[in-house]
Amino acid sequence: MTSISEQLSDALGIMIMGMGLVFTFLSILIVGIGIVAKLFPAPVAMPSQPVPSTSGQPALDPKLVTAITSAIHQYRAK
Amino acid sequence: MEGLMAFWSETGIANFSGGQLLMMAVGCLLLFLAIAKGFEPLLLLPIGFGAILANIPNAGFTEEGGLLYFAYHVGIETGIFPLLIFMGVGALTDFGALIANPKTLLLGAAAQFGIFATLLGAIALNAVPGFEFTMQDAAAIAIIGGADGPTAIFLASKLAPELLGAIAVAAYSYMALVPLIQPPIMKLLTTKAERAIKMEQLREVSKKEKIIFPLMVLGMTILFLPAATPLVGMFCLGNLMKESGVVDRLSKTAQNELINIVTIFLGLAVGSKLSAEQFLRIETLGILVLGAVAFSIGTAAGVLMAKLMCKLSGGKVNPLIGAAGVSAVPMAARVVNKVGLESNDQNFLLMHAMGPNVAGVLGSAVAAGVLLAVLG
Repeated sequence: MTSISEQLSDALGIMIMGMGLVFTFLSILIVGIGIVAKLFPAPVAMPSQPVPSTSGQPALDPKLVTAITSAIHQYRAK
Repeated sequence: MEGLMAFWSETGIANFSGGQLLMMAVGCLLLFLAIAKGFEPLLLLPIGFGAILANIPNAGFTEEGGLLYFAYHVGIETGIFPLLIFMGVGALTDFGALIANPKTLLLGAAAQFGIFATLLGAIALNAVPGFEFTMQDAAAIAIIGGADGPTAIFLASKLAPELLGAIAVAAYSYMALVPLIQPPIMKLLTTKAERAIKMEQLREVSKKEKIIFPLMVLGMTILFLPAATPLVGMFCLGNLMKESGVVDRLSKTAQNELINIVTIFLGLAVGSKLSAEQFLRIETLGILVLGAVAFSIGTAAGVLMAKLMCKLSGGKVNPLIGAAGVSAVPMAARVVNKVGLESNDQNFLLMHAMGPNVAGVLGSAVAAGVLLAVLG
């Protein structure tokens, strides 16, 4: 039977190491999440992109409009 | 007449021992808490009933060949039931709030201090005559502070099977008591102005981030802490099934039918460990006290860490969300929301608290892995 003080110092060692490991593990995870967030930006960025593009071009490309209307006509004619 | 005597000697009345009656009363108390008070009914009801079944004289439920014997042998001794539950929990967990604000992982880490401080406390209790906890026992008791049922049962089944009944009952009871245990500690450690802090809205998280997250967690566990891979692996599998969106059927099964079936047998099997000779001991009292201490210290550590983050970020973090770091999903996050609303009725902290809340699940799984690696 080991003495209580010996057990306590063992437990203290496990406590310090355990907390250290938990913090290290989750801190690395924070970095990982940060990297993934940079690589795959969230969809928030997307609504900001169409805004300048529509303001830059006053209207839709006329060719595109005719293509769409003809497509709709063909679809309805089915 | 002889037949009548033989019948009498087989009845429950003739065979009851005092301990069995007392344990049936404990089972009834658990049933009462589950049914009348709504304390974690999904687990306390089967556990309470299991406790009654396990203490019936001459029924043989817990002897070799009995139903509860097999439920325990197959499901808990092997660690399969808690792991299946963990997969279901993974399939139920949305990491969006955590990915949007990854710093909250630190809160989930800080709250695990409850576990390790209780380890120290359990060993210190050996100074009191009547207590003889080994380091393994102490670790299994300490994990109650992780406030995560499956993790506690898994670790206890590996490190201290003879204490499993008391540990599981303490873990689930205190999880049900989170709304009573946490608010006083949270209020003691924060000022009213801090509690009223409003947090910025969380950013949107892309689907790819959510799919990569469980794989990343698994990869890190493989590299640094293989002892935690049973828990983390099943958790990540469940989460990936949910987030990938291609196996809806599997994900639905994991979060509904499978977790329900397993919960029934897990509860019964844990209840079967509530036999008089294993439960009616001074150690049980110690475990109940240590469990409450573990919860309180975990909450306090989370709040203090959140206070530090509040100071460092210039008052952008509401310290209350640190209390959610002790997993107990989603109860702890709801408690944070409620206490936040008391200070500022426009302050909705629920989503912000979900981050540390699910971080706490990861944190306690990692802590369990550390304890297993060192003591297993």
